[in-house]
Amino acid sequence: MMFPVQPRRDFLSWGTRGVGATAFASLLANDSTKGRSGVSRHHAPKARQVVHICLVGGMSHVDSFDFKPELVKSHGQEAKLAHKPDIFFGKIGSLRKNDWEFKRRGQSGLQISELFPHIATQADKLTVIRSMVSQSANHTPALFFENSGFEFNGFPSMGSWVSYGLGNDTESLPSYIVLPDGRGDPNGGASNWTNGFLSAQYQGIRFGAGDRPVRDLFPSEVISGKQEMATRYLLGQLNDQHRLQTGLDDLLAARTRSYELAARMQLSIPEVTDTSGESEATKEMYGIGADRTDDCGRRCLMARRLLERGVRFVQVFSGGPIGGSPRLSWDAHGDVIKNHGAEAGRIDQPVAALLEDLSRRGMLEETLVLFTTEFGRTPFSESEKGKVGAGRDHNKSGFSVWMAGAGLQPGVAYGATDEIGWKAEENPVTWHDFHATVLHLLGLDHERLTFYHNGIERRLTNVHGRVVRELLA
Amino acid sequence: MLNKRPEGSFSGMVKIWFGTRGIHRNGCNPAIAMSSGINLPKLLFVSVGILCLNTPRSGAEDRAGEDWWSLQPLLKVVPPDNDQEHVIDSFVARKLREHGLEISPMASPRAQMRRLYFDLVGMPPSVEEVRAFEVDPTDETYLRVVDDLLASPHYGERWARHWLDVARFGESDGFERNSPRNNLWPYRDWVIKAFNEDMPYDQFARMQIAGDHLRPGFEGMSAVAFLTAGLHNTVIGSSEFMRRTARQDELEDITGTVGQTFLGLTVNCARCHDHKYDPISQREYYQLASTLRGVYRREQEVEDSTALAQKVAAGKRLDEISKRVGEIEKMGRERVLFRRAGSEEVKAPALPQPLARWEFEGDLKDGLGGLHGKAMGGARVENGALVLDGSSGFVKTEPLAGDVTEKTLEAWVQLDTLEQKGGGVIGLQTNDGATFDAIVFGERTAGAWMAGSNRFERSEVHGGAPEQEAHKTAVHVAIVYQADGTITRYRNGLPYDQSYRSKIQSYAKGQAHLLFGLRHGTKPGAGTLLRGRVLRAQFYDRALTPGAVAASAGAESNFVTDTELLSSLGPTERKKRERLRAEAARIREAIASIKGSKRKVYTVRADTHPGPARLLERGHALKRKEEVLPGGVATLRGPSAQFGLAANAPDAARRRKLAEWITAENNPLFTRVMANRLWHLHFGQGLVKTPNDLGFSGGTPSHPLLLDWLAGKLRENGYRLKDMHRLIVTSRAYRQSSRPSEQAGKVDGDNRLLWRKSPVRLDAESLRDAMLVISGLLNRERGGPGFRDVTLHNNNGTTYYFPFDKEGDPNLNRRTIYRFSPRGRRSTILEAFDCPDPSATAPSRSVTTTPLQALALLNNDFALRMARGLARRVKDETGNDLRRQVERSFELAYGRNAAEKELRLAVEFATEHGMAALGRVLLNSNEFVVLD
Repeated sequence: MMFPVQPRRDFLSWGTRGVGATAFASLLANDSTKGRSGVSRHHAPKARQVVHICLVGGMSHVDSFDFKPELVKSHGQEAKLAHKPDIFFGKIGSLRKNDWEFKRRGQSGLQISELFPHIATQADKLTVIRSMVSQSANHTPALFFENSGFEFNGFPSMGSWVSYGLGNDTESLPSYIVLPDGRGDPNGGASNWTNGFLSAQYQGIRFGAGDRPVRDLFPSEVISGKQEMATRYLLGQLNDQHRLQTGLDDLLAARTRSYELAARMQLSIPEVTDTSGESEATKEMYGIGADRTDDCGRRCLMARRLLERGVRFVQVFSGGPIGGSPRLSWDAHGDVIKNHGAEAGRIDQPVAALLEDLSRRGMLEETLVLFTTEFGRTPFSESEKGKVGAGRDHNKSGFSVWMAGAGLQPGVAYGATDEIGWKAEENPVTWHDFHATVLHLLGLDHERLTFYHNGIERRLTNVHGRVVRELLA
Repeated sequence: MLNKRPEGSFSGMVKIWFGTRGIHRNGCNPAIAMSSGINLPKLLFVSVGILCLNTPRSGAEDRAGEDWWSLQPLLKVVPPDNDQEHVIDSFVARKLREHGLEISPMASPRAQMRRLYFDLVGMPPSVEEVRAFEVDPTDETYLRVVDDLLASPHYGERWARHWLDVARFGESDGFERNSPRNNLWPYRDWVIKAFNEDMPYDQFARMQIAGDHLRPGFEGMSAVAFLTAGLHNTVIGSSEFMRRTARQDELEDITGTVGQTFLGLTVNCARCHDHKYDPISQREYYQLASTLRGVYRREQEVEDSTALAQKVAAGKRLDEISKRVGEIEKMGRERVLFRRAGSEEVKAPALPQPLARWEFEGDLKDGLGGLHGKAMGGARVENGALVLDGSSGFVKTEPLAGDVTEKTLEAWVQLDTLEQKGGGVIGLQTNDGATFDAIVFGERTAGAWMAGSNRFERSEVHGGAPEQEAHKTAVHVAIVYQADGTITRYRNGLPYDQSYRSKIQSYAKGQAHLLFGLRHGTKPGAGTLLRGRVLRAQFYDRALTPGAVAASAGAESNFVTDTELLSSLGPTERKKRERLRAEAARIREAIASIKGSKRKVYTVRADTHPGPARLLERGHALKRKEEVLPGGVATLRGPSAQFGLAANAPDAARRRKLAEWITAENNPLFTRVMANRLWHLHFGQGLVKTPNDLGFSGGTPSHPLLLDWLAGKLRENGYRLKDMHRLIVTSRAYRQSSRPSEQAGKVDGDNRLLWRKSPVRLDAESLRDAMLVISGLLNRERGGPGFRDVTLHNNNGTTYYFPFDKEGDPNLNRRTIYRFSPRGRRSTILEAFDCPDPSATAPSRSVTTTPLQALALLNNDFALRMARGLARRVKDETGNDLRRQVERSFELAYGRNAAEKELRLAVEFATEHGMAALGRVLLNSNEFVVLD
């Protein structure tokens, strides 16, 4: 079973201790279907695996996936807001229209702006949610919230929950792999892909760029293959001896097995990270080799390769640390055109290629693609009152994300913000709802995927969440 | 079976309470408890059951009532009378026999030694120590080893680690910036020292809740850093909602951690609504949170506790003297005033002449010179007064025309409300606003007039009778700064609280100006603005005498000069007064000469008067409802939850009372939780499985009577933990073999009945420390700032931590407890072996077996360095004979001789691949990593 890979009886008697194990008990007791690896689900799944493209900094919905004709008309006017908005810097300038032209796309006629011309070609595959709301307009809490359902360090991320619930379809690779932006990790670093109070086996494993993508996969000093073979042989001999002496079969067998799996990872990780076997056409499609798209292109291609090999959850970040100048994320306080133009330029073609590639290979039917950002941006500019500034502040009250793939209705948009794109008005969707829906598509019931921790049966969705059934095919 | 709870006695009882309803929505315990269906032994049913079968207040199948077992007083337990010599074993054996099981035979002497060493000091025994016990495996020898280990300084290092997990000790802020905390380590050292000195557990708890009040100075400040060891969001956002929510989140972390750590109550679950499973109301959460409301955090320079205590004692003596001097002077003053009353000739001293005067009659002009004011923000002049709105208004004057050292600030002021903090009345500041002296209201002590200054440098004494009248009528306030550093505050012409000796601050011509309404600075800021009216103000470039101040205040009729006073005293009185004054001067000098070292600590910076707390509807930071008093949880049997404190009680009273309530002798949870925690740490599994939660979700104990007996023992022993360790590790239950048994495994696969000792995989820290020990590289240096095996990179204001290891730095060879531990990043060894990220309290660690652990132990730079170290060490110790080197490696790694076959294989291997390669094999082997 899954990545810690131990025989089930070992896992139950040893793998966790404490009441935490009861979460598993309830999962196991409520099996209705079995996954490919013999792992339990609550109901028949639509999707088997997930790739999450996570935009850091806050992407402007009114410039990308949420067309607001009224905003165009009222450009330059003062925003009429019922309440003092809960934004970050508190400067409320005049309304600013979208800087990229919207067009109807594909058969579905989805409105997508010229900010994402490549993704726009995939419009008929997308399920856009235009009525997202968050609880925080502060980057890091909002990013934690988006990923874990809580605004604090220390809560397991979605990828960890999914790994905990479903295990892995491969024994040779971790179940949850993170591909951070080449310019740096987001604020909070590994806290964004932490297992929190779940077992360490569910932590996101960071694959960096370069020839040593995973920490300690190989020793930094050269050790010959022959010596490695002899090492494993001697280790086996000593362990056998010890097992005979102590009689601790289950526990020791699990450790021995973990060394076998480590050896497999040493073979499979170099294999999966070596993209030299991919065709030139594929690389070109992903934008590999081109200045702007190379970093994201490589990571999107890697995501596909990992998914192909059965990895459960792959996370691709777009954006590094918040703050500083020039900004390395979507945090367009100063100049939306410059910032979003550059950021979108880095990911538009690679993400579109990933969709296309997954689709061509028939993988999209079992893969869920998520494209999210921690919050949107304000329809009014961030500037002195009465002026149209070039930047936009944070907007937690209404923004857009999209999903694609298994089990979803393609080519539709759900929910709506108000006339100017300030607040979600029609069918607001919270992150808890979003997470509940993701788990549902994977065959998991968000109310039953629980883990006891310090007094509470914790869930990804806290005590909230509604599966947004309207999105389902 | 996993969901079986083989704990016998309580499950039957639970069944009776809970009826047969299905599983709770959140997958909680009752259904699990029910399913065990193990029969209830009669004896237990009678002794424990009666208590629990009382009518529950609200106990039901899906939640606990007031009758929940852990809330009841400790039972007086008579241990079972059976064939077991050790009391603990008599409990364990009885329970086992009810299930047809027995305690296992003793573990081998070597297994006992390895278990004991790792458990008590977190490091392996040497082969010599193992052999000594093998030769003489008697109880006496065993006990001697136990005592030696408990007396070792390494004991505190080991057990502090457990406590730091509970205390969510992390040396960076978390959240967006994750800035390092370079001075939180004193808390870690304090915990180690407390364990080593066997500090009674109740004192240990009180110090962590209120140490800053109980033992001021470095010691108490280090202890109380427990409250501030958790996360801290330093990027909040601009809106009121964001600020208030962040503060409420911080209070939840602190209140929740206190509740879970010392009471095993998850009070934090009641922030938004009444607790779903335990009898804790939302109001009670806010009562508890109110007791911790004064807790804020800051890194600060703290004086040595002993020096501080000397100063406090000397200060008390000074108070006594000044009281006695006061009594004498009062007598004299009364005589003078009596005489005056009969005479018309006594004249008031002449009014002193200021450098500048502002009458605020229609403008902000200085009537005496050129220090004219300029209105800023909403400041305005109205009806002969300067009106300050408290949100934006203040006045600054032209720069000084000459240098100023000695000075007097004076104003007639009326406040809009006494409920304000930190506003300045009149002040002198450098033009950049960084250095200042000002009359400030209520900044550090609510309602008191203070001599405000930059970073409180000249504000040591900040108490004084809280203002009662200034919102009704104008009062005269003045502060005199003498050249020798003496600062005296006056209210209505009379000295206000005590004068004190500080330093004098000079201001240069043209470089400083006067300021009204703002404490200091160049822009209005929260908590620096005054709300009220200044009717008149004067500034002097000299220190006024008390008489002059009194005269200026119009209080001259009551003012008596020193000469007048002396003349009215008799010779004996005069002499006595002189003697007392001389003694006071000596004490002042002595205080000044106490040299306490100062150190920086990241700890509590209390708000002395945090004001009343309010219940927040559904936990929403802006939905403030009724006021709540500081208090506890009522359903806890024993100490009263009514603290008898006012809603606006000072911080010191609140936290002292909280500490008292928690550690009250009749608080059953306080002792039960710790007894269970100790058991959990010794056996890998508690009598209650959830050490931080003895509420409903935590379930029921496997051995309820044993738990209460242990708790009683802890109390009886004066809360000394070393006695408890000794008691537990000498039991057969602890010393028995870990060998599995198929038959027992079927009955109790989880080993909750303790038919064997559960085997242990070394925790991350012990594993790392053990590698250092056997490689001979361990650096035993204790205490002080942690070593850093991460490099710090600042990327746009956020700190990132990257693990590294290198040869030749002895700092990197210190015990893991001394590792600087930022949140979010650890070395792969620590991360893979389940060392928790310190974001939340972690009372028990998960134990996993994963391929990442294998990769870390095989390939991590540190692990490889340890293997090389081992190779070097055995060569140094045994010379060039490879066989001897191999033999010694086995002794070091396993505490035993290599078997013949092992030796043959290992020599063969080492001959071809070298000794470091063999070391690598040994460090990865099961026998090294697992304790049987």
